[in-house]
Amino acid sequence: MATESEDVDQLRRATGTQLRRLKGQLFEATLLGATLTGIVSLLVLFGQIGFDAFRPLTASAQWYLLYFGTLVTPTAAFTWYARRNPAVRTANAKAFAVVFGALTVSLLTYVVADSVSPYDVLIFLLFGTIPPLLVGIYGRVTEERTYTGPAIPVATVVGLAVAALLYDVLRPLVGIAAQWIAYVGIVTLPVAGLLGVVVTRRWSPRRGVIAATGVLLSTLLVAGGLLGIGIDPSFWVVLFSAFVVPVGYVVGSTVLTESDGRTGVLGPFVLVGGVLVGATLERQLGIQGLESFLRPTLLLNSWDGLNASNAGVYPQIVGSVVVVGFMMILAFPVGISAAVYLEEYAPKSGWGGRLATLLEVNISNLAGVPSVVYGLLGLALFRNTLGFGTGIVVSASGTLGLLILPIVVVSAQEAIRAVPDSLREASYGMGASRWQTLRNVVFPESVPGILTGTILALARAIGETAPLVIIAVATTTYTPPRGLFESATALPLQIFAARSSAMPEFRHGVVPAAAVVLLVLMLVMNATAVVVRSRYERDD
Amino acid sequence: MSEHESPTIATTVQTSDEAETARTVRTTGRSVIESRDLSVYYGDEQALQSVSLQIPDKQVTAIIGPSGCGKSTFLRCINRMNDLVDAATIDGELLLDGTNVYGDDIDPVALRRRIGMVFQHPNPFPKSIYDNVAYGLRIQGITDNLDERVEKALKRAALWDEVSDQLDKSALDLSGGQQQRLCIARAIAVDPDVLLMDEPASALDPIATSKIEDLIEELAEEYTVIIVTHNMQQAARISDKTAVFLTGGKLVEYGDTDQVFENPKHQRVEDYITGKFG
Repeated sequence: MATESEDVDQLRRATGTQLRRLKGQLFEATLLGATLTGIVSLLVLFGQIGFDAFRPLTASAQWYLLYFGTLVTPTAAFTWYARRNPAVRTANAKAFAVVFGALTVSLLTYVVADSVSPYDVLIFLLFGTIPPLLVGIYGRVTEERTYTGPAIPVATVVGLAVAALLYDVLRPLVGIAAQWIAYVGIVTLPVAGLLGVVVTRRWSPRRGVIAATGVLLSTLLVAGGLLGIGIDPSFWVVLFSAFVVPVGYVVGSTVLTESDGRTGVLGPFVLVGGVLVGATLERQLGIQGLESFLRPTLLLNSWDGLNASNAGVYPQIVGSVVVVGFMMILAFPVGISAAVYLEEYAPKSGWGGRLATLLEVNISNLAGVPSVVYGLLGLALFRNTLGFGTGIVVSASGTLGLLILPIVVVSAQEAIRAVPDSLREASYGMGASRWQTLRNVVFPESVPGILTGTILALARAIGETAPLVIIAVATTTYTPPRGLFESATALPLQIFAARSSAMPEFRHGVVPAAAVVLLVLMLVMNATAVVVRSRYERDD
Repeated sequence: MSEHESPTIATTVQTSDEAETARTVRTTGRSVIESRDLSVYYGDEQALQSVSLQIPDKQVTAIIGPSGCGKSTFLRCINRMNDLVDAATIDGELLLDGTNVYGDDIDPVALRRRIGMVFQHPNPFPKSIYDNVAYGLRIQGITDNLDERVEKALKRAALWDEVSDQLDKSALDLSGGQQQRLCIARAIAVDPDVLLMDEPASALDPIATSKIEDLIEELAEEYTVIIVTHNMQQAARISDKTAVFLTGGKLVEYGDTDQVFENPKHQRVEDYITGKFG
């Protein structure tokens, strides 16, 4: 017994235990301090921007009370209710995703098509999608997939090239139709087709056809009705097809098929309804609201350098979206293909292996090259070598694409590398070819990771200013870009320019408000990618 | 599904007469796999030293030996999985039904369709149970009677009763032993000639292990099974023939399992089997 208690004593009072524990606690405290420093600095920074942008002190106490009653309380109560039931929570998340996803998609589509010209979008959309679709259907029907698989991308490229060649002939032909009919082609037909496919898979082909026809007819009905009362239906066609239809489908099918969670679909409507009721009451009762520059005119107007309350960043928002969107089309396929090659095909040993390693090291280094340098590269390549115009969309997209290419490659490589080799071996062991292994095993497994990398790349690109300054993108344009070879500007550039305005209401009002818009734009893009990513993860 | 490769290799082209003789020969215990002076190098390191052995048809052949003796390397030579390792070079011949699988005109992808493989750790795809079993069929472009074939494979792998009502569930939700039997079902769904197993039970608990062992003995009625194991009792229990590899990638002894375990010819094999080293 004596020895046992000695052992226990030793456990308790071993030499240096106290000191060691103190050291451990100090280390933990240091780590916590570092974390808090970072978070607090960010909070202060964003707090300051937010304070200038929203001007919370300008609103009256009644305004806060009003929105607390119409927006905060119902949303919080609903969230609390939804969190307690998993089925309701799932339905709620689904409804939020479809409402805000569809709203984003429909607004972006309309805004971009409207500035570029819906006719052009229609021509390239038709020629870019119908040939590959036909090839795919041919492959399905004849079960001859050996050639149709590779033929699909070829058909897309050929279709787009033909559209570019025949553009001068096609444009006047398409232009005969009213604008809203072009929007029916751009938005309603794809939505009808997609819904038809979804319904066919879920229920039956007959219902799929009915659903697709229903979408088309109801859109035409809406357009006809609006024409009848003398309103141009273009915007409403887009909103109806790309917002009302998907929201109606998801909400409707959830309510009909999921009896446990059907109340969850109310979530987004509680939120939106709260805002609408609040806004109506605010106006009716004449309550003093926020007097900030963050209001609809900022989003809808063009820039006005003399009158801050009239200044808007609509062309800048569209410019950012078009530039970054085209950049995605340029950079993502190239970057992801390079990553696939380096991870799956490049030799691992010998001279080829050394070359591949050298290439990989250089790509990682390129990810850290300052963006100003990429601006110079873009200037040399697009302006001086290729002779593109100054500050046009392709140059800006190309420069930003070069900038994010290494980030895309490196992150996609990491995602592909994270797929366990045991899965590849299993596939090869079954007699799968490299391409089959890639498509059936490696790619589905790495898509979430690849998307995470592209989120980072997007977030970086949308906020980039320096390279755009170097390639002489205009800081202010008064109209959105009309095409890929037209001049455009981006939101960060406008913020940069407005910062040096002599008028304080620009520096302390419009600039922070525009910064919030930029942050929201970035968040919307990121949120889209996160939703897509989580969908892929759930499907596994 | 089958995009680029032709699904046949030279060895599968048989006239009906040849097929007839092949069948009669098989019943007499003809060897399907034969290695002649097979040596493998990983870079400068030699992993196998001129191994020559003949593996009989429709029997269980166990390959045992201490870690790093080259037993897995030998197994991976049979379906050319070593091709995936850039640094590996192979000398000598490995014959499947009399054809050298390292011949210039052999497509390793087609070869692997005739030789199924089960790995040390269960490695089902993160797909549904059904899609896992159907994987090999689909990549070979087989789309008719898929349901039947999947059911048959799962039944032969003794997994059907446990999963028949949850084929849409993710394979990753199964237990380790079920996952390994799923991997076996996946391998036999395409009806290969040979089944390679690389320590298939080493990551499993005793009950799951005994299920796998029972299954292997049943499978040997239809397939040639070659199993690598570090568990000597397992080899003694389930195999008809045993090959003992010792350090340095040398095949030291090969013969009927009873003889190898009860009356080994080499002192070092006896030391290994009785647990003096390894």
